[in-house]
Amino acid sequence: MNPTSDLLARYLQAIGDHLPAASRDDVLAELRANLQAQMDDRAEELNRPLTDAEVAGVLRDHGRPIVVAARYLPQQYLIGPAIFPYYLMTLRKAAPFALILIFLANCANILFVHTMPELIAGILRALGQLIPDLLIFAAWITVAFVIAEYVYTSNNAKPFCASWDPTKLPAIKPQIKGKSRASRIFDLIFHCLWILYVLAIPGHPFLILGPGEIALRAFPVTLAPAWQTFYVLLLVLLAFQLITKIVALNTSYDRGQAVLDLVTKLFGIATTAYLVTMKTYFVATGPSANLTMLANVNHWIGFGFRVVLLITLIDFLVEAWKLVRPSISARSLVF
Amino acid sequence: MDTTSNPLVEPQIFDSLRLELRRGCLIVAVLAQLRVEHYGYTLRKALADQGLAIEESTLYPLLRRLETQQLLTSQWREEDKRNKRFYKLSPEGETILVQLLAEWNGINDSVNNILQHSDQRLIP
Repeated sequence: MNPTSDLLARYLQAIGDHLPAASRDDVLAELRANLQAQMDDRAEELNRPLTDAEVAGVLRDHGRPIVVAARYLPQQYLIGPAIFPYYLMTLRKAAPFALILIFLANCANILFVHTMPELIAGILRALGQLIPDLLIFAAWITVAFVIAEYVYTSNNAKPFCASWDPTKLPAIKPQIKGKSRASRIFDLIFHCLWILYVLAIPGHPFLILGPGEIALRAFPVTLAPAWQTFYVLLLVLLAFQLITKIVALNTSYDRGQAVLDLVTKLFGIATTAYLVTMKTYFVATGPSANLTMLANVNHWIGFGFRVVLLITLIDFLVEAWKLVRPSISARSLVF
Repeated sequence: MDTTSNPLVEPQIFDSLRLELRRGCLIVAVLAQLRVEHYGYTLRKALADQGLAIEESTLYPLLRRLETQQLLTSQWREEDKRNKRFYKLSPEGETILVQLLAEWNGINDSVNNILQHSDQRLIP
């Protein structure tokens, strides 16, 4: 075998490695004939046999074996253009719900922790697990659509969502506007009244406990000292909200305001997290107190705060997603 | 929109659009050229001689695809002591070619009409 035939044979063998057995010999025979004719033509032009480098040049121009072979194969894709828009829509619509469910499932363990470090570690663990779990979720959606594509192409059928009725399109959405100035002023006044109310609570406990304050006096129990720290945290939170509301007074609702709202929510979460870690909400003031009942009351109050913490965390994630979503292109959501 | 302001993007966009434009035209050209029998290499040369250069890696698989669609017929035959696969337009291919050429002429006329009615300065 001369060097030219050897190089051509090796090239064809490399292409053949990527072709299906059924058509391999036929395709390679045709390619051989065409390439050989091209080389003969070139040799005739030069009036001499081609050198190894020239043969290599012809083959190089013809293309990499794997690329050449790929062109003889039917077009292949996991999810074709007919189904892809539905795949993308499903991912986009389902992702927020999946996010909430995954986070809820991962957060379930924080209902049973007792200390602040355990609580923080639980939340961080739940957050850290979000991305891997979301990837798994996206992978399952992808697998479902790959199967749908296979069924669709195998049966040469119309996609399941092909028929549609224009009259069932949703009504035009009202344009989202920020709060009116009057509404923002009212919001600020209401917030100031709310702060005054909170400031008045220590001197007038009935403002928060209502008739329960009289009932509480009849029992040898009182609020735990840790509430004082919570009270300070609450005042800081209210002061921060007051600042944001004053800032918002002269600005229309925009991304900056949304970020401030998120920060406020985060502060609220921290305050609720503190409540969760208090564990003792009422303490005995005398020996006649029923300690078992008191322990039960403290336990269930703590459980209630854990549930509130979960809800506020989910609310925070949803709002954060709403804020970030417009800046993420649909394409980047595709895996 | 002024696209000439970004010299880095423009060639890419042009190449991509040119490829899209050529794709359909090449099929018409190949079908038309195969009214006369050719094997892969001579067909490529004939097209190139007419000013329509086409890569081997595009043309040869295209021939097989058109044959699968029964627009071409092929047969192995010996020529110059070598076996070669010769392609020719099938009767079905002839029918399709006539329809494609009618479509082609229709598009051509429409584009010319649009160009005539639009700003003539756009035509280089």
